[in-house]
Amino acid sequence: MPRPSLRRRVLGLSVGATLVLWTSAAWLSYQHTRREIEKILDAHLVQTAAVLAAQAGHDLDELEFEHVPALHPGADRVAFQVWDRRGRLRAHAPRDLDQPLSTGGEGFHDEMVAGRRWRVFCHQAKSRKYRVLVAERADARARAVGELGSHLLRPLVVAVPLLALVLWWTVRRGLQPLQELADEVARRAPDQLAPLDTARVPDEVRPLVERLNALLRRVADAIRDERQFTADAAHELRTPIAAIRAQAQVARNAVDDASRSHALDGVITGCDRAARLVAQLLTLERIESSTDVVPDTCDLAEAARRVMADLAPAALARGVQLELVADSARCVRASASCVEILLQNLLDNAIRYSPADTTVSVRAGTDGPSVRISVIDQGRGIPPSERANVWRRFHRLVGSVESGSGLGLSIVARIVELHSGTVRLGEGPGGRGTCVEVVLPAV
Amino acid sequence: MRVLVVEDDPLLGDATQAGLRQAGFTVDWVTDGAAAATRLATESFSAVVLDLGLPRLSGLDLLRQMRRRGSRVPVLILTARDATTDKITGLDAGADDYMIKPFDLGELAARLRALVRRAAGLAGPTLRVGSLDLDPVAHRVCFRGQEVELSAREFALLQRLMLEAGRVQTRGQLEEHLYAWGEEVESNTIEVYVHRLRRKLAPEVIRTVRGVGYLLPKDGAE
Repeated sequence: MPRPSLRRRVLGLSVGATLVLWTSAAWLSYQHTRREIEKILDAHLVQTAAVLAAQAGHDLDELEFEHVPALHPGADRVAFQVWDRRGRLRAHAPRDLDQPLSTGGEGFHDEMVAGRRWRVFCHQAKSRKYRVLVAERADARARAVGELGSHLLRPLVVAVPLLALVLWWTVRRGLQPLQELADEVARRAPDQLAPLDTARVPDEVRPLVERLNALLRRVADAIRDERQFTADAAHELRTPIAAIRAQAQVARNAVDDASRSHALDGVITGCDRAARLVAQLLTLERIESSTDVVPDTCDLAEAARRVMADLAPAALARGVQLELVADSARCVRASASCVEILLQNLLDNAIRYSPADTTVSVRAGTDGPSVRISVIDQGRGIPPSERANVWRRFHRLVGSVESGSGLGLSIVARIVELHSGTVRLGEGPGGRGTCVEVVLPAV
Repeated sequence: MRVLVVEDDPLLGDATQAGLRQAGFTVDWVTDGAAAATRLATESFSAVVLDLGLPRLSGLDLLRQMRRRGSRVPVLILTARDATTDKITGLDAGADDYMIKPFDLGELAARLRALVRRAAGLAGPTLRVGSLDLDPVAHRVCFRGQEVELSAREFALLQRLMLEAGRVQTRGQLEEHLYAWGEEVESNTIEVYVHRLRRKLAPEVIRTVRGVGYLLPKDGAE
């Protein structure tokens, strides 16, 4: 099937409509004219009959009908007969037609005589001495009318292709703005995402162009975000690399073992940090690019248990206790791997910012149609003024000795968003520490 | 030479501090812009190493604030931002130099020495006052053509006096330049170092201005 074309469609419809209207008009006027012509021809018959009848009263015998056929080449199309009261044919033409043209009374008759159709007019002269029959061949009449019809239709045969040509040009001109728009879009480089100019766009196409502009804006925003993220990520990686390099240089130039080993420890820490940053970047990239998640059933407490088991050694090394309090049903509609990444980031932060000899607790419970999970630490807490900023990528808290990637909470926020949940940041019990509360829809 | 390092990254700050100390600088390190502003307002530094992405007060804001207050301390921006526009913005905001992370500690030290030298109005890399020659890079001092062995603190004290030749330096000012914040300073430390310097060089090299401080005469001591 050929692709739909507006031009073809408009052209086809207008040519078709013109053809139908034109043909109907021609047919109607043909019919009307045909009737009018028949009326005129009939009137001729009546008149001729009247003349003959008048003539028949006087000197019929003196008429020289023998010469009539020679008068006109079309004379055989017409005929007349004059019968007297005794049924004798007193005068007639053409000569070979001597059977009565009609046996009907006064008026018009369509008769079949000598294998031909005739239109006959019968007239009884007033004196009743003669019967006058005047006739015309039906096929001659039809030919005349047909010729008229063909005259009416002939211009159509020439005009319709001409009209189609004119319409084709008109449609082409009419759709020119569309073509210009297409050309403008085609000329654009992939990074040219400025909105199209709507000032010169016709009303019919404006909604389309406006939608297109909205899409262009969204694409431009997305690309800008993406570029910003790449730039931010590259910059964020520069700092740990600079630290590694500087620590290595310090180690090389160190004169005593203590400062050398301190610097070398710094090198290792720096490498771990860079590796963690890269891992977090990849996680965020994966989560950012996924538009929706496979709805899955995930046991929150089970996921928390797995993550806590993974992080327990790190927590113990820092003297931080882990605790899980989970009551009732805790299944959420979420991807298990996403939930684990979420909990891992929250717990990692909590452990990182907890002083020794404190506890990080995870609480899970139902809350109406949702399941609530909280990660609570007893660290320094996040001041209310800072709480809105922590979700931003690469944001770090002031004066934090610990060096996180600044991406953990961005990852958490994105996962929560993907699962149509909510996340809230507050204080722990008694206003101490931090409590991050995530609410996800229950199964 | 006392340098203030403003860097919020713990690992990098630690390394910069250690590296610059190895190069003979006295280094103070703070992790945010507001703390840096406080330190700069109350203490004197020969130079500042400034990161731009700082919490609480951004590096650029701190720099503009410093320059608005008339501070002439040389500032070297040390940042991950490598765009030309960032460099232009930084330099136009009042920075004297711009370095991009990752960097070489040796280069950082050399640039800081150059900045301090320029700020003191000197062109050459070595300081020369009278018959004293001090090479900050090689950490060498020659007096009347003879090389003199000096400890790091003695060297730093002499360098300060030479940079400020002809101007009296109070004991407090000298202490500030010799010791980072939090370092233990004995009450008579400066006297001890001045005494040692006079013994190694010549007694008349450093003049005492009674009740005020010390002075290295501009025309030198023959």
